[in-house]
Amino acid sequence: MAYVGKDIPHDSAIGHVSGESIFIDDIPPARGELLCDFVGSPAAHGKLISVDIEEAKGVAGVVAVLVAKDIPGHNKFGPVVKDERLLVDDVAEFLGAPIVLIAAENRDALREAKKRVKVEMQPLKPIFSIDDAIAAKSFLGPQRVIARGDVEKAIGSSEYTLEGALEVGGQEHFYLESQAAIVYPGEHGAVIVHSSTQHPTEVQSIVAEVIGVPFNKVTVICKRMGGGFGGKETQAAQPAAMAALVATLTKRPARIVYNKDDDMRFTGKRHPFKSWYKVGFDKSGQITALSIDHYSNGGCTVDLSLAVLERAMLHTDNAYYLPNVRITGQVCKTNLPSNTAFRGFGGPQGVANIENIIEEIAIKLGKDSLEVRRCNLYGSEEIDPQIAQIHADSEEKNLRKSAQSADEISSRLETPYGQIVQNNTLPEIFEKLPATSDYEKRRQEIEQFNRRNRWQLRGMSMTPVKFGISFTKRTLNQANALVNIYTDGTVMVSTGGTEMGQGVNTRVRQIVADELGISYDAVIMSATNTDKNNNTSPTAASSGTDLNGAAAADACGRLRNRLAEFAADFVFNDGEAGIAASAENIAFEDGMVWDKRRPDHRMTFEQLVCRAYIERVNLGERGFYATPGVDFNRETGKGHPFLYYTNGAAVSEVLIDRLTGEMKVTRVDLLMDLGNMINPGIDRGQVVGGFIQGLGWVTTEELYYAANGELMSHSPTTYKIPNVGDLPPTFNVALLDNSNNTVSLKRSKAMGEPPLLLGISVWAAVKNALSYASEGEIPKLALPSTGERILMALTSYMKERVAESA
Amino acid sequence: MRDFLIIYVNGRRHEVRGRRAFQSLSHFLRYDLGLIGTKVVCAEGDCGSCTVFVGRHEGDKLTYRTVTSCIQFLYQLDCTHIVTIEGLKYDGQLNPVQQAMVKCQGSQCGFCTPGIVVSMCAMFEKKRDVNADDLRGALVGNLCRCTGYDSIVKSGLAVDTTTLRRLDDLYPPDAIVSDLIKTAGESVRVTDQKTFFKAVTIDEAARFRAENPDCMIISGGTDVGVQMNKCLRDPRSILSLAGMQALRGIEVKDDAIVAGANATIAEMEAFTRDVLPEYSRLLYYFGSPPIKNAATIGGNVGNGSPIADSIPAIYAMNGEVELVGTSGSRRVNIHDYYTGYKKTVQKPDELIARVIIPLPKAGETLKLYKISRRKDLDISAFTAAIWMRHRGNSIDDVRIVYGGVAANILRLRQTEDFLRGQAFTLSNLQHAGKIARSEVKPISDVRGSADYRLQLGENILTKFFIDVSGTTSGNGNGWNDGNGNGNGNGHSVDPTLEGIAGEVH
Ligand SMILES: Cc1cc2nc3c(=O)[nH]c(=O)nc-3n(C[C@H](O)[C@H](O)[C@H](O)COP(=O)(O)OP(=O)(O)OC[C@H]3O[C@@H](n4cnc5c(N)ncnc54)[C@H](O)[C@@H]3O)c2cc1C
Ligand code: FES
Ligand code: FES
Repeated sequence: MAYVGKDIPHDSAIGHVSGESIFIDDIPPARGELLCDFVGSPAAHGKLISVDIEEAKGVAGVVAVLVAKDIPGHNKFGPVVKDERLLVDDVAEFLGAPIVLIAAENRDALREAKKRVKVEMQPLKPIFSIDDAIAAKSFLGPQRVIARGDVEKAIGSSEYTLEGALEVGGQEHFYLESQAAIVYPGEHGAVIVHSSTQHPTEVQSIVAEVIGVPFNKVTVICKRMGGGFGGKETQAAQPAAMAALVATLTKRPARIVYNKDDDMRFTGKRHPFKSWYKVGFDKSGQITALSIDHYSNGGCTVDLSLAVLERAMLHTDNAYYLPNVRITGQVCKTNLPSNTAFRGFGGPQGVANIENIIEEIAIKLGKDSLEVRRCNLYGSEEIDPQIAQIHADSEEKNLRKSAQSADEISSRLETPYGQIVQNNTLPEIFEKLPATSDYEKRRQEIEQFNRRNRWQLRGMSMTPVKFGISFTKRTLNQANALVNIYTDGTVMVSTGGTEMGQGVNTRVRQIVADELGISYDAVIMSATNTDKNNNTSPTAASSGTDLNGAAAADACGRLRNRLAEFAADFVFNDGEAGIAASAENIAFEDGMVWDKRRPDHRMTFEQLVCRAYIERVNLGERGFYATPGVDFNRETGKGHPFLYYTNGAAVSEVLIDRLTGEMKVTRVDLLMDLGNMINPGIDRGQVVGGFIQGLGWVTTEELYYAANGELMSHSPTTYKIPNVGDLPPTFNVALLDNSNNTVSLKRSKAMGEPPLLLGISVWAAVKNALSYASEGEIPKLALPSTGERILMALTSYMKERVAESA
Repeated sequence: MRDFLIIYVNGRRHEVRGRRAFQSLSHFLRYDLGLIGTKVVCAEGDCGSCTVFVGRHEGDKLTYRTVTSCIQFLYQLDCTHIVTIEGLKYDGQLNPVQQAMVKCQGSQCGFCTPGIVVSMCAMFEKKRDVNADDLRGALVGNLCRCTGYDSIVKSGLAVDTTTLRRLDDLYPPDAIVSDLIKTAGESVRVTDQKTFFKAVTIDEAARFRAENPDCMIISGGTDVGVQMNKCLRDPRSILSLAGMQALRGIEVKDDAIVAGANATIAEMEAFTRDVLPEYSRLLYYFGSPPIKNAATIGGNVGNGSPIADSIPAIYAMNGEVELVGTSGSRRVNIHDYYTGYKKTVQKPDELIARVIIPLPKAGETLKLYKISRRKDLDISAFTAAIWMRHRGNSIDDVRIVYGGVAANILRLRQTEDFLRGQAFTLSNLQHAGKIARSEVKPISDVRGSADYRLQLGENILTKFFIDVSGTTSGNGNGWNDGNGNGNGNGHSVDPTLEGIAGEVH
């Protein structure tokens, strides 16, 4: 019986529903344990003049009050550039930047001590917005370019042109479990860190550097996270390092758990973007040239901003062929907490831009945006993979592509960065989804409704996604896994993949069970642990299962081969029956092992491994996987960064109250190509969950700051993620039957991030609705399209009309 | 008088003394009892991860309601039975709700899941035969960031209802009730560094209040609990009204709703469903089920926020607040009750005993509006209550009340003056909107800009016109049915913008 392909409940479901799953703050306190918290900068930008901690130290129950100079190792860190400080030692670059770390025996003492710390700062001029950062040339990293063709010339000779700017807002991760860590001091400076992190290896290295010990003295364990969404890729490290510092200096266990308000105020978010574009197109709506300049708000340090920007640039084409194109990108430095990874990792911002442009082209030409999308889609011709690879290689080395291979590839398949789009299922999706969602008929109804109804508006749009799978940083596309078989036939697997609800553990269990031909229940996953799996990549870029599942399968393959050889030689080798030892003929299935030539003669997996153990056969294996063939040169903006693309599309319809701006999503139809799914139930959950998270980003989730840079929407009372009432009343989710993804594990496709980008269809539908009220004018709409923004846009059209008629 | 609290948790009796009585329920469960299944995310009642059952004895029965345990303090919960996620299995096995959640992939990261399971179990306590709308209503108070809710709703629909058991079956009430009946009538005083007093009679309460003029009154605690958790309030002495039977109950008397201050919003919503449906519909969008189970009408009025949801209607219906103190009781018209931002005419020894809301008569219409960023479980950016009496097609009298446009809830007298005597037409209402706009001076904040609120203030009168006249083209004229129930037929969603709002912090 195969487990892959089955809707098996989430690995931890039983624990979750009974409240028995353990998260960081559920771990019982250890003897002498201390609670930690910090006092942060009162200014978004300021020079530290003095810190007075004497009074705080005197509070009963307070055990340690620490400042930057107490750090035994390095105070500087950062995933890409070491521009972050654990504790401010000179200049604070965001409001709340930790300055003083306090450890106490109880919460009351902690709270009291915080109040008694005195910080004196000399305020410096802060920058918060992208516009101000551009004006001040306050940037992080270089400007990047991805380009092809002569864009200026092509725009100049286009039949139509449009230009404008789009502002795309940030987004709070709103994982339910806040950033948290517990650190236990060990012998000779070693520490054991329990962290709610997507990237144990990074926590390990930062903790080691901060406390000044080699990596091998730091063990990081992550059992599970109460949500991550990218927010715990790099930014779980700070709380872990703070607790580690306390544990190291006090020799007592230390726990830190941010409260929700602090977590929201002091950690990074999805990057806000502002992009200026100029597009040329013909009367059919086909784009002839696009020039777009992206600026992202990186916050105060680099963190992952350069990679996020890169992915935004690599997704600015989304599903569309752009013959002449120039995409630039620049990260702005501002005095906000450093923005970071968030599901989609820049992809959503890139895609929002091109979808906005498509809507505008449609409005300009008076066409349905679906028609415009269709005529811009990448093609779907079958390509000889070898030629595609040669093509990418030649681009990657920045050579002129050979005339020959260029001819062989239809021109409508090449991305701006030179990768060839293969196995493109979008044309098929564009056939199917409009039909199943009744697009044409509803379009007519909507037009009629909007003509007749003075107080309400309807709008609809279909937007696709083509999401590139792989880390764009080549190194990260690797994973290792450890598979141990015990003599009772049970198996323990550990990988570098961390579980945050997305189901990586469930899928790996399914894969391992199938590879070894044993039952799912015989396999368990260990907590992710840096002493079992070293140098791991973050569980990110939707790649958790692709990478870690493949590494586990590799380990299983080697174990199975070894056991097959053993079985062939020692067990089923039967000269009398005329059966010579033949490892290839050994079958593993349903917990049984046999020689296919003698199916009646079977033994259990447990019996086999017992015998193998007695005969001194190694029953553990490390597996390894490195994604083949991916690379990208960011200097030239060319390469083959993605192993494959995950595709899908959504049709969303909205209803707007013209008098109040209130908007409701009335219907959504979603179609995705996830290849052969490893776990249809979990995969579907990722699709729906991702879509609704995207819906929140484009509608109600708005980050609102006070003039001093303080986030005012810092809790669920003021920051509104989707609620059960926002689940569209009609919500059809379908998956394309497709097994053409030969390059990935079990012909599956990664789906963690792509569906989030389909939330953009809701925003596009709002823009479409507004276009009925704006009467031919292109409505300007920032993202998210809050009720306020909708009402103000509608009001401006009314005013204009009144002014015109006056 | 007792000096400790009696609280049952999952069937076990606990006596809580001294300092421990002052902690939140979620803290007590997680850190004193080690019941870590109850999760805390926001500590302000807005996410539902900490949802638990509170059982109170009513007569010889235990009645269970869900609350958010992060903003309930132990001293409010004397003589209750708390049931947590740990107490919901059937004989150590997953219950049918839990089974369905497992089977239908209703959990991903699992952090919201215990709260979701509790809320879903609570729904099935009341009703077995549920549809998707019931589930959405029941889960409004539970945020989930992972699933997008679809699989949770599907889990709810897949529950094997034939095997469901009631809490009374899991926790036979007799022993608990007989203990609580003996003790619930006692007043309780706990003193540590702070003092807490649970009053049973109005007299006691008024006296404590007179002796402790700075004391904080707590009813449901959904406002003050948040304020205390966010360190905005740290009272030295606390007076709980939770045990006062005299403040309970809702009735219709002399054509008015007379609600005891302790009546919860959930009770108000249910009670007004027939007698004042417009109010009930508005209260549907007040907070969430666990909030409405705790929040009281007295607390909403007592908190006096300019965006409180229950209050504009009281203004529009010209209602009253009944105060009681050491020298007896008095009724104050709501228009005279507030004297400034969260300031009232209440004397130091007084408390709110009742709220009186006259019912609209024939020929009168009441419409209530709540505009918020998110439709469900959100605090209003803007609220409006409009009452109108018409004669023929003209406006005989009108009261227009806006919230979220000033430090207090505001009567729009100039707009009313203009409308009185005018014909009920679109253009008159549109013109009134312009006057309304000039009459308010809203501020910009996290819930919306001043311009947005001005525009809503202007448009809502047009909205009122089309809701009442039932026109979609805007050419309609006159009253649809005279009862204010004329919803435009083109309004396929949210025919009225139900709602009012209340500020939490
Ligand atoms: C998640 C959440 C959502 C919410 N949603 C809404 C909403 O949609 N709309 C809305 O309007 N509000 C909302 N609120 C606010 C709150 O629930 C209401 O204001 C509620 O009615 C307060 O009632 P309570 O009994 O909990 O008051 P408490 O918190 O107990 O008291 C509130 C105030 O009133 C005083 N008080 C209480 N009872 C009396 C009395 N009898 N006499 C004199 N003074 C008294 C208290 O001293 C205190 O100052 C929400 C709150 C939360 C936490
Ligand atoms: S923790 Fe969010 S409601 Fe209690
Ligand atoms: S399952 Fe993660 S928040 Fe609901």
